[in-house]
Amino acid sequence: MSRNDGKKDSSASTFRKIDVDQYSDNNFREEDADGGIGGPTEALISVLRSAPLGCKNQQVKDNARNLTLKVLLSIKSTQIDDCLGQLDRDLLDVLMKYIYRGFEIPTEGSSSHLLTWHEKVYNISGVGSIVRAFADSKRA
Amino acid sequence: MTEVHNLGVDAISCHAWNKDRKEVAICPNNNEIQVYKRTSSGWKLLQNLQEHDMHVMGIDWAPNTNRIVTCSADKNAYVWTQEGDGKWNPAWVLLRINRAATCVKWSPLGTMLVKPFARSENKFAVGSGGRVIAVCYFVSENNWWQCKHIKRPLRSTVTTVDWHPDNKVLVAGSTDYKVRVFSAFISDMEDAPGNGPWGHSNTLGTLLAEFQNTPNGGGWIHSVVFSPCGNKICWVAHNSSICIADATKGNAVIRLYTEHLPFLNCVWMGSNSIVAVHKHGHSCMPMLYSIDDNGQLYFVSKLDNTQKKEAAGLSAMRKFQSLDRQARTDTNDNALDSIHQNTINCVRKVSNNEFSTSGLDGQLVVWDLKYVNKLIWLFNLAAGEFHCWSEDSIKKRNAAKEQKGGKNTVQN
Amino acid sequence: MFLLQSGTLKPYLAAVRRTLTAAMCLENFSSQIVEKHNKPEVEVRASKELLLTPILISRNDKEKVLIESSINSMRISIAVKQADDLEKLLCHNFTRFMTMRAEHFIILRRKPIEGYDISFLITNIHVEQMYKHKIVDFVIYFMEEIDREISEMKLSMNARARICAEEFLKRVSHLWCNRSR
Repeated sequence: MSRNDGKKDSSASTFRKIDVDQYSDNNFREEDADGGIGGPTEALISVLRSAPLGCKNQQVKDNARNLTLKVLLSIKSTQIDDCLGQLDRDLLDVLMKYIYRGFEIPTEGSSSHLLTWHEKVYNISGVGSIVRAFADSKRA
Repeated sequence: MTEVHNLGVDAISCHAWNKDRKEVAICPNNNEIQVYKRTSSGWKLLQNLQEHDMHVMGIDWAPNTNRIVTCSADKNAYVWTQEGDGKWNPAWVLLRINRAATCVKWSPLGTMLVKPFARSENKFAVGSGGRVIAVCYFVSENNWWQCKHIKRPLRSTVTTVDWHPDNKVLVAGSTDYKVRVFSAFISDMEDAPGNGPWGHSNTLGTLLAEFQNTPNGGGWIHSVVFSPCGNKICWVAHNSSICIADATKGNAVIRLYTEHLPFLNCVWMGSNSIVAVHKHGHSCMPMLYSIDDNGQLYFVSKLDNTQKKEAAGLSAMRKFQSLDRQARTDTNDNALDSIHQNTINCVRKVSNNEFSTSGLDGQLVVWDLKYVNKLIWLFNLAAGEFHCWSEDSIKKRNAAKEQKGGKNTVQN
Repeated sequence: MFLLQSGTLKPYLAAVRRTLTAAMCLENFSSQIVEKHNKPEVEVRASKELLLTPILISRNDKEKVLIESSINSMRISIAVKQADDLEKLLCHNFTRFMTMRAEHFIILRRKPIEGYDISFLITNIHVEQMYKHKIVDFVIYFMEEIDREISEMKLSMNARARICAEEFLKRVSHLWCNRSR
């Protein structure tokens, strides 16, 4: 989606105020290290909470996706269940969107890990979250 | 109990009942409308109404004035009136739309106090793919059905319309992800605009309220209906959600995102219950949702024969076993056998506790909720007794219920 | 290697199956651009609001499925694993054979989407006339089979090449023997 696409853009300029830097990898790692609480689950919750879904700047979205993917791939298959247990339904929907985004840039072994994620999220929130990944116009 | 009717057609794309439910008009998924009468030996075809050139998209049968209105993808609508010999005659409606007519609905009773029939079902609304709602009324001077348009701010095909019980407010859902409440007051024929909770206006098409389907954007509105009292609207959309907006609470919206495929239709059964119907998937079945005392939506039960079988032969034992072992409230998760074998396209409320569904499998099913309500009551009672010696399982049940019910968000 | 791959095949197909089920919620919808027409919106792409987010599921960088859905139609495009030139050739011929006979396959699209080997186009009419879960089954079955088919063809091709070569070399060796004698 380009920034000058459609009429809507002139009215929605909020994306200009978004601090792009806050989504960069470096920042996140610092935060993670500082906080001390930095378990993978907390990391996941925080990236999903701050997901820039409505943002029109593709760069910001891509950064957020890369970051979320990094978190997703760093969580081991055995930890997934515990992790999902702490997410509420809204975050599961966001997570589902990011899992699908992750499929678009396959790296070594990433897809099979994402498939595990996909299956576990599906087991909790059913086909509904897949439908919402399709239907929501605010994309990950 | 459910009654399954087979009219001998391959598919039914929409249907409408007459007042005493002795007759039904259906569209067999083509350009015809067939009127059937219930006889002791089954359903008898009375007349085949052939006037449309393309798929019939909507049928509505006015109970009191006994008129049928139909609309079709050929951009036309006809009002059918019955002659003395029982034959239906069409009257063409000047719709002035340039895309398919997608849905049609008679206005409700109106005030019956002064002159019965003079005011009931005196208007109907037609939604269209041309981003227009046509509100039609009869002009006796010209002997002609005429219409006025609501255009703004519709930005895509209107998929569904419904009338407020006061006859003067209209709600419409469209594929631009929005539900809108409009004034449908026509100054030519009505004297005073309504005084309902949604506000009033003396011009047709004034936007009284507008709801975005979800803050996440997206989701075509499949069906929207006013509650019997007219204070609430309920809609179902393509993001598998059920939403309720309440005019008496400052248009607050309750949203329930379900874990199912999108619902295609919904009807109010009483002031607090909603039946939402799956069109899609192999589980073509209606589901019952309710609003609790806190105004939250929750899932009550699936309404299908599997449920019924269990209830009949059941096995409270089995129910609790499944509850205890698998922490789920119903055991028919993997059962594929629903009554409808193909997509359900149309739902109609028949009486206070009955509704009917028709699908592309050619079946017309009348569902009775009395039975289900009793079942729920019994189940709750049984659960209460069970409580005495197993608190643990109740906890599990509640947890399962919460999970089943999906999630709730309240938003203004 | 083979074991490892078949390990991810099942979850891959499961994910595709679930996603297809979610995407295949189609209804009759008349065009809002051209009057009295009813066209697959996913192909026309004239009204943005009638299209859903396209979703991609990948098993690795070579095997992936793209699912594009709209209000009355959906498109499934499959990229088949092609490890070497031989598999590429086999896959190309195989899909060409099918697309040339697309009318027999009803839901097959005559031309695959760019970047994919084969595409299906499913409209609301297909879903109305056939059981939806059976269509999903068919696509999944197809995905399973095409992999197997191509590896089998490759094996038999290699086997045949080996036999040819053997035959040929036998003759050569005969020649050799004769000459040495």
